Amino acid sequence: MSETLSYLLMAWSDPQLLMLTALGTFAGIYIGAIPGLSVTMAVSILVSFTFSWDVNNALALIVGIFIGGVYGGSRSAILLNIPGAPSSVATAFDGYPLALQGEAGRAIGLSTVMSVIGGLIGTLVLASAAPVIGDLALRFAPRDYFLVAAIGLLLVGSLSEGSLAKGIFAAALGAVIGMVGMDPVTAQGRFTMGQAELMGGIHYVVLMIGLFGVAEAFYQLHNLDTPAVRQRVDKIIPSLAMVLKFLPLSIRTSLIGVIVGVLPGVGGDIAALMAYDHAKRTVKNPTQPFGKGAYEGLVAPETANSAAVGGAYVPMLTLGMPGDAVTAVIIGALVIHGLNPGPMLMVENPHIFWFTVGNLALANIFLLVFGLMGIKLFAKLVEMPKAMLIPLILVLCVVGTYSINSSMTEVYWMLGFGLLGYLLKIFGFQMGPIILGAILGPLMDTSYRQAMSSVGDNPLELLNELFTSPLSLLLTSGLLLILLSNTPLFGWLKRKRKAATLHP
Amino acid sequence: MLKQLFASVAFSLSALTLALPAHADYPERSIQAVIPWGPGGATDNVMRSLSPYVEKELGGKLILNNRPGGTAVIGSTYVMQQRPNGYTILLGAENPQLYPVLGVAKFDYSDFYPVNIIGQNVVVIAANADSPWNSMAELLADAKANPDKLRMGSTGAGGLPSTVHAMINAVGEMKVREVTFGGDGPGITALMGKHIDFMPLSLAAAKEMVRTGKLKALAVLASAETPELPGVEPITSALPGIAEYLPWGPFWGAFVHKDTPDDIKQKLTDAYAKAVANPEFQGFLKNYGAQSLNLNGAEAEAFLKRWQSVTTWSMYKAKAIDIAPDSVGIAKP
Repeated sequence: MSETLSYLLMAWSDPQLLMLTALGTFAGIYIGAIPGLSVTMAVSILVSFTFSWDVNNALALIVGIFIGGVYGGSRSAILLNIPGAPSSVATAFDGYPLALQGEAGRAIGLSTVMSVIGGLIGTLVLASAAPVIGDLALRFAPRDYFLVAAIGLLLVGSLSEGSLAKGIFAAALGAVIGMVGMDPVTAQGRFTMGQAELMGGIHYVVLMIGLFGVAEAFYQLHNLDTPAVRQRVDKIIPSLAMVLKFLPLSIRTSLIGVIVGVLPGVGGDIAALMAYDHAKRTVKNPTQPFGKGAYEGLVAPETANSAAVGGAYVPMLTLGMPGDAVTAVIIGALVIHGLNPGPMLMVENPHIFWFTVGNLALANIFLLVFGLMGIKLFAKLVEMPKAMLIPLILVLCVVGTYSINSSMTEVYWMLGFGLLGYLLKIFGFQMGPIILGAILGPLMDTSYRQAMSSVGDNPLELLNELFTSPLSLLLTSGLLLILLSNTPLFGWLKRKRKAATLHP
Repeated sequence: MLKQLFASVAFSLSALTLALPAHADYPERSIQAVIPWGPGGATDNVMRSLSPYVEKELGGKLILNNRPGGTAVIGSTYVMQQRPNGYTILLGAENPQLYPVLGVAKFDYSDFYPVNIIGQNVVVIAANADSPWNSMAELLADAKANPDKLRMGSTGAGGLPSTVHAMINAVGEMKVREVTFGGDGPGITALMGKHIDFMPLSLAAAKEMVRTGKLKALAVLASAETPELPGVEPITSALPGIAEYLPWGPFWGAFVHKDTPDDIKQKLTDAYAKAVANPEFQGFLKNYGAQSLNLNGAEAEAFLKRWQSVTTWSMYKAKAIDIAPDSVGIAKP
């Protein structure tokens, strides 16, 4: 027990570890804020960089970067309508409208506090229930991943403001873009038009930077002359009453984040979108309508993507299996440092588990400090003259895209998507569903084919499994319920029931 | 016009390089080392562990750069397209040796110069710890009794599981359902969750799961028990015929463009030979469940040729590929 406590507090009491965690968190915020610079990338560079270090020091820095980076993506989403990472796509939906109302400072303040709450809940779940929910990652069969992807695709309904038809078109476009590249089963090229450069597919971050970054920059050219909104920079730290008001929602969305984070192959990006959808469905009276600057629309994705970090650590620490791309790199780091990440890690090296838990909590505290620092300065970014801001955004987009895979081809693609996104925006298409399709399309493709080959390509057997396996049944009913609630039939039934209760 | 200008500049630059007698000062700047697989994977882990020792021997800096995609096609193509000056190295695995027969790309490692074949992985046939089989023979018998019923984890055409499956089918019969995953990791997770029944895996990926009893090793792909996994029977006890393809395993190597100047090739070869031999790196390989090879020059070229010939011909025999190996210039083993 005392040993556990000493591991837990290791990072809190050692000045060197304390400093490294702080440094990592601080750097992470800025790495996360720049589209294209990702946590995965930063961590994999750090693995080489910290090769000769003590493993605790390396892990402290990595945890800091992870926590800071996931949060950092929200900053550019709120200020510029350009998510720094796919997990912040949903943050822009209500964050940017707030910035346009002069509330950028308050939005950042709220998102910081909510990220910390989400991060701490994620850490708490990791500490208290890791072995139990680690098992959950094993229970998900390919057909269950297929169902999760299908449920995810239904989010199109709440992501497409205005026309649902346009939303469905956008999601389908995203799914097709996500399919480009080598077929995962047969190794044949799909939609590559014989170009070797396309065999690796189109990275969805490339798509995201084009659609959000470049397209937004082009779109801003329309209102070059409109004066920037003056930003109110008082009361940026949300009041306790406000935090308490959003606490029930933030606990629910944090739990969504943790669960989605635990599943390998689905991470903070999906968690944030699902949480946004959950908020939209359950919150009856948001501070402003969703999509127009609702605080709830900010709370949900920010808590979920931060809570997903704790979730991603669960399979890594309990099974030695990565919960997402970042934990995959951390496993690599442990291997290089001569530890054996596997099912026995918690038994043979218990210090890694408790050290990570303590470290995650510490990084969240630092996040609160660094996140609330310098907001006033950042909020001024929105007031910057467009003539300076737009070129700056474009440069960042190019640099960010190039840094993903050091590929010029991807830079050209990104610019192409920027142009496409600009045109789509003019015609009233939403960008969110495109990203959703690009992330979920490939997941649905592979999991469907896995599910089908598992049953010997017999669709009847697959259908049978969807209704007989308990977990699949749960997901299938969820899917059908959401589908039904979106059809006119449901509304009709509801009205009929209401009418029946009114006139017995 | 512009094109001509570029051409003449390029020509005079190359004339300049030719005029220089030797590259005594190589490396004068940092070397870009391309890893054609994503961060955190087996190839990435091996290369990130090895590189500090290479840097020490070479007296220069390696900038490690992950360029994943298309089973390493993207990264390998990139290195082929760079100037052959020794400043771009490919740190890859076995995959390009199968490109010609899979129709993925026109090149293979014969278009590169092998600086070092670093090591190879031991392959194990792994099953869930609760599975009814205790040996490869039992698995084969079950597959024979229930054709196309058992589910084998795979990583797609040209991946390790489907290659091993082809080898087994070339000398025996194992009709199973192939369920394709994005890599070893998701496959192992599915195997632990009993969503598939067995999977051929590299020992590097499966070692911890086997050691901790989550997975059961039915056989190693070797003709005798291997020191890396004592007590596990060799696959030849159930399938003696497979011996003609052994020893076999996925490998890692460092490569440069074929036209790289000889003295630079030599420098890199020496540096990598010493780095791989470094006891600390040898310790890493051992802990990782891999076998050190440290081959260069003619030995490395012979290794690559044999690997390609054995693998592609067994795949062709098992009808796992349609392109005949000899039609793309691969001789029979």
